[in-house]
Amino acid sequence: MSEAIGPQASLWSCFRIQTRVIGALMLREMGTRFGRDNLGYVWLFLEPMMLGGAIGAIHHVTGHSLPGGLEPFTFWVIGYIPYYLFRGIVNRAPAGIVGNQSLLYHRRITVFDIMLSRHLLEGAAVGTALAGYILLFGATANIWPAEPGKMVLGMALMLGLSHGIALLIAAGSVYTELFDRITHLATYLSISFTGAFFMVFWLPTEMQKAVLTIPTVHCFELVRNGLYGTLVPTSFDIPYVTGWVAALNMLGMAALRKARRHLIV
Amino acid sequence: MIRLHDVHKSYPTHFGAKEVLRGVDITFEPGEKVGILGRNGAGKSTLLRLIAGVEHPNSGWIERRMSVSWPLGFAGAMHYSISGADNARFLARIYDKPIRETVEFVENFADLGHYFRMPVRTYSSGMIVRLGFSLSLAVQFDCYLVDEAIAVGDSRFAERARAALADLNARASLLLVSHQAETVRAFCKTAAILQDGRLIRYDDLDQAIAAYQAA
Repeated sequence: MSEAIGPQASLWSCFRIQTRVIGALMLREMGTRFGRDNLGYVWLFLEPMMLGGAIGAIHHVTGHSLPGGLEPFTFWVIGYIPYYLFRGIVNRAPAGIVGNQSLLYHRRITVFDIMLSRHLLEGAAVGTALAGYILLFGATANIWPAEPGKMVLGMALMLGLSHGIALLIAAGSVYTELFDRITHLATYLSISFTGAFFMVFWLPTEMQKAVLTIPTVHCFELVRNGLYGTLVPTSFDIPYVTGWVAALNMLGMAALRKARRHLIV
Repeated sequence: MIRLHDVHKSYPTHFGAKEVLRGVDITFEPGEKVGILGRNGAGKSTLLRLIAGVEHPNSGWIERRMSVSWPLGFAGAMHYSISGADNARFLARIYDKPIRETVEFVENFADLGHYFRMPVRTYSSGMIVRLGFSLSLAVQFDCYLVDEAIAVGDSRFAERARAALADLNARASLLLVSHQAETVRAFCKTAAILQDGRLIRYDDLDQAIAAYQAA
C-alpha cells in the first residue's frame, strides 16, 4: 500500500504542530472571511446576532403565544442561534476543501485541520453571539440562565454533530458535486425537524419518541433547559447525543482520510 | 534522503484512467542537485507534487528523511485573497518561524514594492513566483522542489533566484524539473529523464542531456 514516511516525530510534537497549524488557520480564516474593512471581525458574531434578533423580533411583534408561557423573543433567539451554527457549518462543508486546496501544498496542513479550524471559528463566533443575547436577556428582562453549563454543553454537542456531518460531506464532495447541489436544500428542509423551533413536550407521546431519535433535538432541549431551568419540561439524553457525535466524527475522519488519497490538487 | 518505491500515479479521465507514472524508483541523497528532464506532459509536475506530498500515489510509497519544500511554481502554496505580507505571517506560524523576521526577509527578497501589502490575486504570475520562492527560502528546507517556472520572473529576480539556488550550499538538495536542457545545466550536477512514466537516472549530466535530446 502507499504510505509516506517522514522523520519520526513524537506524539507530543505532532500535537504541538497540529495546534499551531489550527491556530494559524483560524487567524487566516478570520482574515479571509471578514478582512479589515469596515467593522471587520465584529461581523463574526454580529451576523448571527442580527439574524437571531430579526427572527426573534418578528415573532415578538406577531405575538404568537407559546406553550408554557415562554417569552417568544428569547425562545426564537435561543432556537435560531444553535441552528445557525449547524446550518453555517454544514452549508459551508462542500466548499471546505475546494476553497482551501492551495493550502494543501504545505504537508503540515491536513484537510482535517482546515475543516476543524473553520468549525472552531464558527463555534466561537456563534457562541459569542449567544453570550451576547444572554447578557441582553439578563440586563433587560432579568432572565438569567438557570444552568449556563448546560447551554455551553448543548452548543458544544451541536458543534460536534455539525463537525462530523461536515467531514462526511467534505469527503463526499471530493468524489461528486452532488453534495454541493443538495446540501442547501437539505439544511433548509431540516429546519422543521432539527428541533430548533419546537419543544418536545408540545408533541403527543408517540411523536416525542420519534423526534427524540434525532440527535439535534437533544441539543436544542439542552440549551433551553440551561436557560429556562424547570420553568418548562425538557427532554434530552446526553450519552445518546455523545454517541452520535463520536460515530459521525469517526466515520467523517475515516472518509476524509480516504478522500485525501484521491484528491487532485 | 528521499526515496520513491515503485510509485504509480494515474488520473481518472473521460477516456479511462490516464497513467502518468508507471513505477518510479529513485533515491535522492542530501545535497544532491538533480535536474529532471521531460517533455510537456511527461509527468514532471505530477512527480514533484507526489514528492512534496501534495497528492498521493495510487500505489508505491515515498520515504522522506529530510524536510521537503512545496513544489515551487506558478500555483498553490499561498492564499490569494490575502496579501503577500499576510501569507508570510501565516507561513511563519505554520512552520514555527519568527514572524517579524520572516515578513522582513520575504519583503526584501521578493521585492514586490507596495504590492506586498495587497491581495495576491492582484499579482502578475511573475510576482506570484517571486513571492512563492521568497517564502520557501524564508522557511528553509533541506530539499527544494523547483518547477522550471523559477527561470521566468523578470531578469533581475531570475538573477537573484539563481544566486540563491547556487547558494544552497552543500547541505541543501535541489530537484529541478524542466523541459529545457540549458536550465538543468545551469543549476544541476546530475540529471534524470522522465519518459513514458519512468524515471531514468544518469550520473553524468552531459550524457543525460545527450540522451534527452536524442530521444
